[in-house]
Amino acid sequence: MIPLSWYLILSAALFSIGLFGVLSRKNAVAILLGIELMLNAVNINLVSFWRYGDVSQMAGQVFAIIVFAVAASEVAVGLALVISVYRRRNTVIADELDLMKW
Amino acid sequence: MTTETLIWLIPLPPILAFFLIVLFTNRNKALSHTVAIGAALLSWLGAMIVFVRAIGTPDLGKTPFASFINWIPTADTWLKIGVQIDPFGAVTLFFVAWTVLMIFLYSVGYHNYGQPAGDHDHPGLPPHGATDEHGHQVPSVEPMYSRFFAFISLFAFGMFTLVVSDNLLTLFAGWEIMGLCSYLLIGFWYAKPSARAAAVKAFMTTRVGDVFMLLGIAFLYSATGSLSYRDIFQAQVLHTLASVPTPIFGLSAAGLIGLLLFIGTIGKSAQFPLHVWLPDAMEGPTPVSAMIHAATMVSAGVYMIIRMFPLISLDPKTMTVIAFIGTFTAIFAATIAVAQNDIKRVLAYSTISQLGFMVAALGTGAYVAAAFHLVTHAFFKALLFLGSGSVIHGMEHGVLHTGDHNVDPQNMFNMGGLRKKMPITFWTFLIGGFALSGFPLLTAGFWSKDEIFSGAFNNGHLIVFITLAVAAFLTAFYTMRQITLTFLGGPRTKEAEHAHETPWTMIAPLVVLAIFAIGYGWVGIPQDFLGLHLNPSWFHEFVGSTLAVMPAESPFSWIVFGTSLVVSLGGLFFGWLAYRNVSVPEQDKLQIPLLKNKYYFDELYNVVFIKPSYWFAETFVYQWVDKGLIDGVLHLFGKAANGIGSIIRNYFDLPVINRFFGDGTAHVTQWVGKNLRPIQSGRIQQYMLVSLIVLLAIAGLLYYLLVIV
Amino acid sequence: MDFVNSHLLSLILFFPACSALVMLFLPKDEAKLLRWFAFVASLIPLALSVYLWIQFKPDATGYQFQEQYTWYAAIGSSLHLGVDGLSLTMVLLTTLLTPLALLASFSVSDRIKPYLMLFLFLETGMLGVFMAIDLLIFFVFWEIGLVPMYFLINQWGSANRNYASLKFMIYTMGGSLGLLLGIQLLGALFGTFDLAAITANWTSAQGSLLGFPIATVKDVVFWAFVIAFAIKVPIWPFHTWLPDAHTEAPTAGSMLLAGVLLKLGAYGFLRLVLPLYPDQAKAYAPALALLATAAIVFGAFASFAQKDFKRLVAYSSVNHMGFVVLGIAAAAMAAGTADARIAMNGAILQMFNHGLSAAGMFFLVGVIYERTHTRNLDEFGGLFPLVPIYGGILIFTSMASLGLPGLNGFVSEFLVVRGSYPLLTPYTAISMLGLLFTGAYILKGISKVLHGPMNEHWAHGEHKLTEINTREIIVMTPLMALILVTGIWPAWILDVINKAVMHLF
Repeated sequence: MIPLSWYLILSAALFSIGLFGVLSRKNAVAILLGIELMLNAVNINLVSFWRYGDVSQMAGQVFAIIVFAVAASEVAVGLALVISVYRRRNTVIADELDLMKW
Repeated sequence: MTTETLIWLIPLPPILAFFLIVLFTNRNKALSHTVAIGAALLSWLGAMIVFVRAIGTPDLGKTPFASFINWIPTADTWLKIGVQIDPFGAVTLFFVAWTVLMIFLYSVGYHNYGQPAGDHDHPGLPPHGATDEHGHQVPSVEPMYSRFFAFISLFAFGMFTLVVSDNLLTLFAGWEIMGLCSYLLIGFWYAKPSARAAAVKAFMTTRVGDVFMLLGIAFLYSATGSLSYRDIFQAQVLHTLASVPTPIFGLSAAGLIGLLLFIGTIGKSAQFPLHVWLPDAMEGPTPVSAMIHAATMVSAGVYMIIRMFPLISLDPKTMTVIAFIGTFTAIFAATIAVAQNDIKRVLAYSTISQLGFMVAALGTGAYVAAAFHLVTHAFFKALLFLGSGSVIHGMEHGVLHTGDHNVDPQNMFNMGGLRKKMPITFWTFLIGGFALSGFPLLTAGFWSKDEIFSGAFNNGHLIVFITLAVAAFLTAFYTMRQITLTFLGGPRTKEAEHAHETPWTMIAPLVVLAIFAIGYGWVGIPQDFLGLHLNPSWFHEFVGSTLAVMPAESPFSWIVFGTSLVVSLGGLFFGWLAYRNVSVPEQDKLQIPLLKNKYYFDELYNVVFIKPSYWFAETFVYQWVDKGLIDGVLHLFGKAANGIGSIIRNYFDLPVINRFFGDGTAHVTQWVGKNLRPIQSGRIQQYMLVSLIVLLAIAGLLYYLLVIV
Repeated sequence: MDFVNSHLLSLILFFPACSALVMLFLPKDEAKLLRWFAFVASLIPLALSVYLWIQFKPDATGYQFQEQYTWYAAIGSSLHLGVDGLSLTMVLLTTLLTPLALLASFSVSDRIKPYLMLFLFLETGMLGVFMAIDLLIFFVFWEIGLVPMYFLINQWGSANRNYASLKFMIYTMGGSLGLLLGIQLLGALFGTFDLAAITANWTSAQGSLLGFPIATVKDVVFWAFVIAFAIKVPIWPFHTWLPDAHTEAPTAGSMLLAGVLLKLGAYGFLRLVLPLYPDQAKAYAPALALLATAAIVFGAFASFAQKDFKRLVAYSSVNHMGFVVLGIAAAAMAAGTADARIAMNGAILQMFNHGLSAAGMFFLVGVIYERTHTRNLDEFGGLFPLVPIYGGILIFTSMASLGLPGLNGFVSEFLVVRGSYPLLTPYTAISMLGLLFTGAYILKGISKVLHGPMNEHWAHGEHKLTEINTREIIVMTPLMALILVTGIWPAWILDVINKAVMHLF
C-alpha cells in the first residue's frame, strides 16, 4: 500500500502550485484557478487522512464534500465578480484593481 | 330672620353689586347705578331694621347681637370672626347706612347721568361738556360712570364690614378695602397727574398708620389669644394687659397696643402728623370726598379707637398722647383752613380739625362725646361736601356757559351771590355750616361739641379745653368766611352769574342730610342742661351702655355753655364781618404764606422722607448693596475662578497637556502612519505575499522555539 | 382605578416627563398640535393631584400614598415617594401652575417643541423634589429641575440672558454641591438615604465618619443644607441671581421660577433642616430672622428702585419670600408652641400664595411686554383707557401681592407677623417697614403703567396696544379665583397645612 506521506507530498505540491499561481498570476481568472487547486489539495489531504485513520468515522469524507460545495459556489460567485469587475473597469488584471489603496 | 343673620347680610349687597357691575353691567350706565343704589338700599334697609331692633333691646350693651364662625385654624385653636352690633355699633351703622345711601343717590346727578356723552371726553379725565342739538354747551356724562358705582359699592362693603365686625381682623380688612377704594377713587380721574399723585400719597400715608396698626393687632392677638372685642374687653384680660410692662417708654402692654392702634387712626383719620393726604384727596370726585373723606372712612379711624376705648383708656400715657394729638390737630388744621380758597380744601382741613376734636375728646376720656360728635359730624360734613359739590356743579354750568375754562369753579373768590341762584343748596349748606360751627341749641354740632367741651373741662384737661375752644372759634370763623364768599353778596364772575341749581338727585340728599344735621343733636341733650331736669340724654344712655361701666354724664357748667355760645356766635359774626366786603384774594388779610402753604409740611416731608426713601431705594439698596456689594462679591468670585482657570490653562493645560501629551502623541502617531503608508498598496497579491512571508517567519520562529530549543 | 390609587404619586410625577418623550415623535412644525398636546398632558397631573387632594386624609400622621421601588439598592437608596400636608400643598401648586404656564406660552413660536418639552421635564423635576422621601432622589430631582430652567432662560430669554442663565446655574449649582455633600455624608453615616429611616435613627446614631465625631458631621451637613436652601429661596444676601434670572426668563419661565422653584428652598428648610436640627435651628433663628428682615426691607426698597417692570416684580419675590423665611425663623425659635405653629402656617400659606400672585404678576408683565416689547416703566403711562380689562386684572393681582385683606397675601402675612411678633419682636417690627414699601412699589407699578397722562405712542397706528385676549384671561382666571377664595376662606387649605404642621413640629 502506498504510504500516507506520498499522498501528503502530492497534496503539498498541489497546494504550493496553487499558491504560486494565486501569488504570481495577474489575471483574476487564473488566480481563481489557483485557489481551486489549493482547495483540491486540501481535499486530497482530508480524504487520505480519512483513509489512513479510523475508516468508520465519516468526517473526512463529509468535509471533502463540503469543500466541493464551497469551491463550486466560490467559483460561481468569484467568476460573477470577475465579470462584474470586467464590465465596470474593463480589466481583469488584479494589480489594476487597487481601490483600497490609500 | 334673626337679627344676627341680618347683620351678616348687611355688607353683602354692595360687594355683590361690585362684582355684578365689574363683570356684567359695566357697559350699561342705567343698570349699573340701579344695581349699586339697589344694593345700598338693601343694606340701608337691613341696617335700619337692625338699628330699630337694637334700640328696642334692653341691655344691648351687655348682650349685643353677636354671632361668629371659625375662620383660620391656628395650631389647636381657631381664629374666629363674626359680627356684633352693640349700641355704639348700632348708631354707627345708622349714620353709615344713611350717608352711604344719600351719597350713592347724589352721585347719579353729580356724574351728569342722562346728559349726552362728551365731545372730547376721555376716560380718566373729568368730563368737559358736550354740545347739544341746539348748539348749547351742556354738561356731559362721566365716561367711567359704571366704574364709579362699582368702586363706591366696594367701598360701602368695606365700611359695612368694618362696622359690623366683632373683631379687629375683619375691622382691619374693611379698613384696608376702604383704603384701596380711597386710592382708586381719589385717582378716579387717573389721567390727571395731580390725581395720580394724590392717590398714591393717600394710600402710602395711611399705610404708614396701617402697618403700625397691624403690629398692634399682632401684639394684641399674641397677648390675649383673640381679637374679638368680646374676649379682649373681659375684665381680667384688660387687667392683665394693663399690668404687663413693655420696654418701650414705660408703657404697659395695653398702652403700647393702644398707641400702635392709635397710629393707625392717625393715618386713617388724617391726624397730625399724617394729615397731609386728606387735602390732596380732594382731587377725587366730590361724592367721594363726602363719603370717604368726611363721613365714613376717615371716621373709621375714630370709630376704631372709640371701639378700643376700654383697652386704650387703661394707660394714662397713651391717653395723654391721644389727647395731645387730637387737640393739636384740631387747632392746627383750623388755622390752615382759614387761608384756603378752594371750597373743598376748606372743608378738608375742617374735617381734619373736627376729627381732632373727636380724638381729643376720647383722649380726655369723654367716650360718649367722641361717639356723638362722630355721628353728627358725619351728617353735617357729608352735607357740606355734597353742598360744595353742588356749588361746583353749578359753577361748572356757568363755566360751560361762558366757555372760559380758565375760571376755577372751585375757587371761592370766583363765586359770590349764589344764594339766589341755588337756594336749596344755599339753605342746606347754611344748615351744615352752622352745625359745623356749633350754632347754639338748633344744630347737632352744638350739642356734640358742647359735650366735648364739658368732657374736657370736667375731666380737668383745661389746656385741651381752651385750645379746643379756640379751634371751635376758628371753625365758626372759616365756615362763615366760606358761606360769605360763596353765597352772600353779589356774583363776582360771569360764571357765578350763570350758575344754577342742580338736579333733584343732588338736592334730595342735601335735604335729608340737613334734617339729620339739625335733628340728630336733639337725641343727645344733656339731662341737666341749663340746670333744668330734662329726660336723660338718649344718646348718652344708649351708647354709654356699650361700656362695662356706664360713664357718668358730665355735670352742666355755665362756663362751658358760655364758651360754646361765645366761640360759635363770635366766630360766625367775625367771619361775616371780615369777609362781607372782600372780593379778591388780595383783600384777604389771612392769606399768610405760612398758612396758605399748610406750614410747608408737604415740602418738609418731601425733604425728610420721600427724597431719602428714593435715595435709599435707588442708590443705597439697589446700586450700592445689590449691584455694588453683593454682585461685586459674586463677580469677584467669578473673576477669581476665571483667573485660576486661565492660569491653569496657560501654564499647565496648554504647555503640558496640549503641547506635550496631546500634540506630542498626535505627532508621533502621524509620523508612524506616514511612514507605514506605502505598505498599503491595495494589491491583494502583495498582501498575501507579505502574509505568507510573515507566516513562514512565525512558523519558523515557533519551530525554533518549540522544537529546537 | 386600583392601579391609579396605588400609583397615584408616580403617575403624577412621571406623566409630564413621559409626555415630553412622546412629544419627541410629534412633527416639530405642527405648532398647534404640540401646544395642545403639552397643555393637555399637563392637565392630567393637575386632575390627578386634585384627586390626590380629595383622597388625602389631613388627620393622619406621616406620609400618605407611599410608593417604594428599587432604584439603587447597593447604596441604600430607593425610589421612595410620599406626601404629607406640607408637600401636598406644593404638589397642588406645581400641577396648577404648569398648565397655566404652558397656556401662557401659546404665544411663543420659536422652537416650540423643545420649549414645551423642557417645561414638562421641569414639572417632573419640581414634583419629584416635593414627593421624594429619599434624599438621593430628592437631590436628583432637585438637579433635574435646574437644567430645563437653565435652557429656558438661556435659549428663550431676553437680551441679557447669557449672563442671567449662567449666574442662575452656577449660583444654584454652588448650593447644590453642598447639598450633595450633605446628603452623601448622611448616606454614609446611616447606610441609607431614606429620610424616614434617617429621621428614626437620627439621635441614636453612633460612631464616627472618616475620623470625625458624629456631631461634627451633622454640623457640616447642617451648614451645607442651609447654604443650598438659602440660595434657592433666596435669602438675603444670596438673592441677586433672582432678579436677573426672573427678568431674563421667558414669561412662562418666570411664572414657574417665582411660582414654584423658589419654594424648593423653603421646602428644604421645612422638610430637612427644621425637623433634623431643632437645636441648631433654634440657635441660629435670630440670625435667620435678621436676614429675613433684610430681605423684606431691602427687597421692598430695591423693588421700589426699579425702572424695569419685570425687575420690579422680580424683586417683590425677594420681599415676599422674606416673610416665608421670617415665619420659618419664628417656627425654629420655639418649635412646638402655638406661636411657632401659627408662624409656620403663615410661612407655608405664604409659599402657596406667593406662587399664585407672583405667577400672575409675571404673566401680566409678559402680556404687556409681548405687545409693547418694552418693560421700561417710563415708556408706559396712562394705558388704562386702552386696556381696561387688563388694567382691572393688574390692579387685582397687584393688590393680592400687596397683601390687601380679602385676598390671599394678607392672611399669610398676618399669620407670619402674628406668629413671629412674640418671638422675634424687633425683627417683626422692622419688617413692617418692608410692608410699607410693598405698598410703594406696587403703587409705583400701577401708576406708571395704568395711570397718568396717556402715552400717545401706544394709542394709535401699528403700536396700538391691544386688550388682553381670551386665552390670557383664561390663564389668569384660576389664579384670581384662588387668590380671592383663599383670601375669603383660607381654611380650605390652611386646615391641611395646620394639621401637617401639628404633626411635623
